Amino acid sequence: MRANFALPVDMADQIEQILVSLHRMAEAECVMLADISGQLISVHGGLEEGDPALVAALAAGDVAAMVELSRQIGEESPSCSLLHEGKHKSIYMHNVANGFVLLVVYGSGTLVGMVRLFAGRAVEKLEALAVEFEELVDQPGAPASVDFGAALADELEKAFGEF
Amino acid sequence: MFINWKLREINLKIVYYGPALSGKTTNLQYIHAKTNPNIRGEMVSLKTRGDRTIYFDFLQLELGQIAGLKPRFNLYTVPGQVYYVGSRKLVLQGADGVVFVADSQWNRMKANVDMIRNMEHNLREMGHTQNGIPLVLQCNKRDLPAIAPVKLIRHQLGCNGAPCFESMATQGEGVFDTLKAIINLVVNQAQQHI
Repeated sequence: MRANFALPVDMADQIEQILVSLHRMAEAECVMLADISGQLISVHGGLEEGDPALVAALAAGDVAAMVELSRQIGEESPSCSLLHEGKHKSIYMHNVANGFVLLVVYGSGTLVGMVRLFAGRAVEKLEALAVEFEELVDQPGAPASVDFGAALADELEKAFGEF
Repeated sequence: MFINWKLREINLKIVYYGPALSGKTTNLQYIHAKTNPNIRGEMVSLKTRGDRTIYFDFLQLELGQIAGLKPRFNLYTVPGQVYYVGSRKLVLQGADGVVFVADSQWNRMKANVDMIRNMEHNLREMGHTQNGIPLVLQCNKRDLPAIAPVKLIRHQLGCNGAPCFESMATQGEGVFDTLKAIINLVVNQAQQHI
């Protein structure tokens, strides 16, 4: 189970490059990577409407449910993709290394075949990165220079103190 | 917990767990209604036609920069109905902390106990050790007539060590105390990774 992890800057850059390339090659509107618990890791492009954090949470739930559905019907491979074809906007999702979700939002002028092709290539690259990523799980980061917890408690009082 | 050092963001996931109709969604609705729109996102609820949670509710809170990091709290609820056991497990994945919302009514004691055992089972399956995940107990519906004493609820649920708050979520009482407590616990545990 993935617990705590910190994404170093160099790895964030590599992920961004993969997403930028996918965004351009597939002529997508927005591409994003989330982890299977719904945490948004990286996003490139924009959504005309909608909050990427919310989309990531829903996508992760959807893919996790589909992986489990596949298992229930006897499919052994954890690899899973989902496609929603809308009238104006469509969504393609693919799990990555069974711990992450790649999501592509594209418009009606984009060919689904292009999205599948370039998303497949992006998944291969991301799966290679995921191996390195897994090694970062539960690795402590650099110690904070100030007491983050105390500072946060003050901020919480400011935000919610009146209730 | 997920820290993105490039964006200087820290993401934490908090799950509201509990039996059906205990008030999990009401907690999030109150937080959403009373929080400054500048620090919260849209709340989404995946419901049945009967207005019951079928998958989860989701709300993101984003505080300003603290010690150079921007904290984001992703709040989820699980569906409480017994047969959504698979959905609860999915939502619990990657949780950094849990609020167990207990229904204080006498006739819901068994449902509370069954659900916390289900939660413990799911957490164990995910590799959490006992007491390994921050937990806050919220005894909700304290305004109703036939309710059990808080001490008894804590004892029956085996939550004697966890912070406990009495609440009336429909009126907001205890909602933000619970939220602050779980955030502080989660952040204290995460602090070693920051």
